Amino acid sequence: MFKYVLKRIFYFIPTLAIIALVTFSLSKMAPGDPVKLALGNKDNGGEAGQAAEKIAGEKAYNAMAEKMGLHLPTFYISLSTAAEPDTLYKYTKRAERETLQRLISQYGNWPQIEKYYANIRKVQYAMYEVRQDSTTYQPGRELNNQVNGLFQLYKDEEILASLATMKDAAALSPAFTDAARAIKQLDESYSAVKTNATNAKNYIPVIHFFGIKNQFHRWLFGDKPWFFGEEKLGQSAGFLRADFGFSYSDKRPVWSKMKDALPWTLLLNFVSIFLAYIIAIPLGVWSARQKGSLADNIITFILFLLNSLPVFWIATLLITFLTTPEYGMNWFPNFGLGDIDSEMNAWDVFTERAVHLILPVLCLTYGSWAYLSRQMRGGVLSVLRQDYIRTARAKGLPDNKVIWKHAFRNSLIPIITIFAGIFPSAIAGAFIIENIFAIPGMGKLSFEALFARDYPLVFTVMMLSAILTLIGNLVADIMYAVVDPRISFSK
Amino acid sequence: MSATVNKPEEQDQSYWAIVKRQFKKNRMAVWSLRFIYGVVFVGIMADFIANDLPIACGYKGKTYFPIFNSYGVSLGISKWPTELANVDWHDLQYDWVLLPVIPYSPQFMDTKNSGFKAPMGTGQTVSSFRFTHFLGTDKLGRDVMSGMVHGTRVATMVGVISMSIAVVIGILLGAMAGYFGDSKLKMSRIRLWLNLIFLFLAIVYAFMVRSYALSDALSVSVGGFMVQLLISGVIFVVIMIIPNLIVPVLKKVPFLGKQVSIPMDILISRLIEVKVSVPTLLLILSICAIMSKPSIFITMVVIGFLGWTGIAKYVRAELLKVRSLEFIEAAQALGLSEWRIIIRHAIPNSLTSVLITIAFGVAGAILTESSLSFLGIGVAPEQVTWGSLLSSARSEASAWWLAVFPGMAIFVTVTVFNLLGEGLTDAMDPRLKQ
Repeated sequence: MFKYVLKRIFYFIPTLAIIALVTFSLSKMAPGDPVKLALGNKDNGGEAGQAAEKIAGEKAYNAMAEKMGLHLPTFYISLSTAAEPDTLYKYTKRAERETLQRLISQYGNWPQIEKYYANIRKVQYAMYEVRQDSTTYQPGRELNNQVNGLFQLYKDEEILASLATMKDAAALSPAFTDAARAIKQLDESYSAVKTNATNAKNYIPVIHFFGIKNQFHRWLFGDKPWFFGEEKLGQSAGFLRADFGFSYSDKRPVWSKMKDALPWTLLLNFVSIFLAYIIAIPLGVWSARQKGSLADNIITFILFLLNSLPVFWIATLLITFLTTPEYGMNWFPNFGLGDIDSEMNAWDVFTERAVHLILPVLCLTYGSWAYLSRQMRGGVLSVLRQDYIRTARAKGLPDNKVIWKHAFRNSLIPIITIFAGIFPSAIAGAFIIENIFAIPGMGKLSFEALFARDYPLVFTVMMLSAILTLIGNLVADIMYAVVDPRISFSK
Repeated sequence: MSATVNKPEEQDQSYWAIVKRQFKKNRMAVWSLRFIYGVVFVGIMADFIANDLPIACGYKGKTYFPIFNSYGVSLGISKWPTELANVDWHDLQYDWVLLPVIPYSPQFMDTKNSGFKAPMGTGQTVSSFRFTHFLGTDKLGRDVMSGMVHGTRVATMVGVISMSIAVVIGILLGAMAGYFGDSKLKMSRIRLWLNLIFLFLAIVYAFMVRSYALSDALSVSVGGFMVQLLISGVIFVVIMIIPNLIVPVLKKVPFLGKQVSIPMDILISRLIEVKVSVPTLLLILSICAIMSKPSIFITMVVIGFLGWTGIAKYVRAELLKVRSLEFIEAAQALGLSEWRIIIRHAIPNSLTSVLITIAFGVAGAILTESSLSFLGIGVAPEQVTWGSLLSSARSEASAWWLAVFPGMAIFVTVTVFNLLGEGLTDAMDPRLKQ
């Protein structure tokens, strides 16, 4: 038994590693530039801003990227082509990095492409120096737009068109002489990229090793020292030490947001699961004892229907009919948790909350209740077929004693499996229900985070629920053995 | 009909025949199956049941088949005749016309009946009884019944596409885990090594090098993406053939030819455990949310790719039983290849239980898809599904028809598939019934 638990915990580690990898890669695939999302999606260095402002924006971007660890390589190793340099991760701007990758895949000559990209930047800086007056405003604007756009162009014809427009605009005023020189250089470096293409490099796979200074390692284990050593500002403790990062939307730590939401989800789940078990277990046993009777048939059928009733339909129906004055049955508040003010006593607070929670709890309960009852009935029926039950009956035990003393314990096994599912559902929240009834729990939190592209929150919830599911499965397996001593794990 | 058929001892005693007879005794299940046929029929014929284009019409002395024509246009093989391009189909002066049963498409906005008009014609402004919105309209005047019919198509497609993906992956992985176990899949060292090396190369050349070709094609059209995917597939297969051609020669070297066993069961069981540990709804939500362009097809594919574990578990358990039966041993003794035994002998004998999981799986897939579209995730805004119709009820409490009918459709369909699953379970194991 102990050996079995150890073995299971040992298996826990690779499974967790895979889940961490999946979560991390999903978070990397999520669209949008994470730094921009974290900075509130402001486009730094807009067209007409002052040079100082633009440089400040650039600095803020780099500082944020460093805070988020995005100045590091993505993973311990990377698989790329020989054309791609292993320092590409240093381009922290996602759009720029992706454009560079495109260019590399087209021409395969990194030194030339790097020079070309540096020249774009030179033109940009040259434009910062241009003083704005009535003659330079219009063409200057055009030039800035083209330069900023050029960072993200990779199609030949688009780049050529953009370069041509820039040349024309730069010829309009003597104030652009520096810029015009830079543009000429840029043009030359672009033709160098095209003439010196080394496409063959794109077909040679190369594996780079980066060591533990990478984003994945920082996210999971953190870069803060574990036991001793000096902590530096901006270091992360990592997921395993409960540092889940900060939310993009309000910059609060993810953990503190979850701490606010968790109690409501736990309350909802525990009340509904408690109710479901309390009703389901006796009903299942009762129904199994009456097997074949009319009452049993009706209950079985109703449970079957309840089991396939979509919860979001029932919730919509309840809201439509029981929370609005339209149909004369405005009995419940339709969403939220009610207003609590400081003058209310404990009883008032309780009733206010309870009234708001009745419908959500009902919606959460009926499904699991129906499912549990069916499982319980099936469990009792299969146990009642066993020989030892016949023996118990044959030796003259009263029916009640046979059922509760001999059959009940063994028929609990399927029920225990389901109990393990409570852990994950508690954290992922009753996703749909919380959203329909606007209850500020985990489900609503992660749903809103999804829409707001607040990825740290989303992927933290995902990772935590996966871990809790694993623990739940382990607990269920151990509880099996406790309930039914015949199950042995020493293989 | 010959006289002997009715005698019970003359009946076909094969396993399938018994299952069929048992199934037919279950009236609920038989009716469920018939209902499913009906759902599939409505799903396939949705365009001909609810559409604002006529099925056939005479216009200015010529005969047209606008619905067929619209298929041609969307496939790019035909064009609209000039007099029918950009017309309001409801206002045309036809010589004669054959309209679909519901003369509205789900996207058609009946401006005269916008703002939640109740079912059965009361309060609706329509030219004749023929144009009544029998199940009412939504805020923009779109016909609810037409939306229901086209939602049936989405549900059917979810069932078919998601389940086919899940079934293929589930059966393949489950069969490998169950049949080979941890010790039965043996290959020579050199074959294992070369296959791993070439698998790496195949992934590089088929998918990594071509990743831009693939993603560019996907952003243009699904069809073009499929073509690119096919090319990648061909490259992959060609590269994977190479090592298996070299192996027979290199196997002669004693060290390289040594047989090693691959723990298939451990690998696949671990994969299943990982998959089961991640909450499916949240995973689907995150995947659908990171798609730049929401599409119902991508949602279906995602549901399919995440729904194989149940089937794989079943097939694995079945094959664990089947592989030690005499007929498999006989097949092995005859010297048949492992794959032939798996595909021709082992899998067919476990398919009956797979049917049960498919029935329940379709119910689950439809439920998942409708909850997603209810939440507004993974569907394009103009796509009408049962879930999206139901969610529009949340904006207007007095529109009870939006709350009742789409939900009813989801409920009935899910129930019917569950009933079918129960019926199959009973039919396949008659002992459980007693």
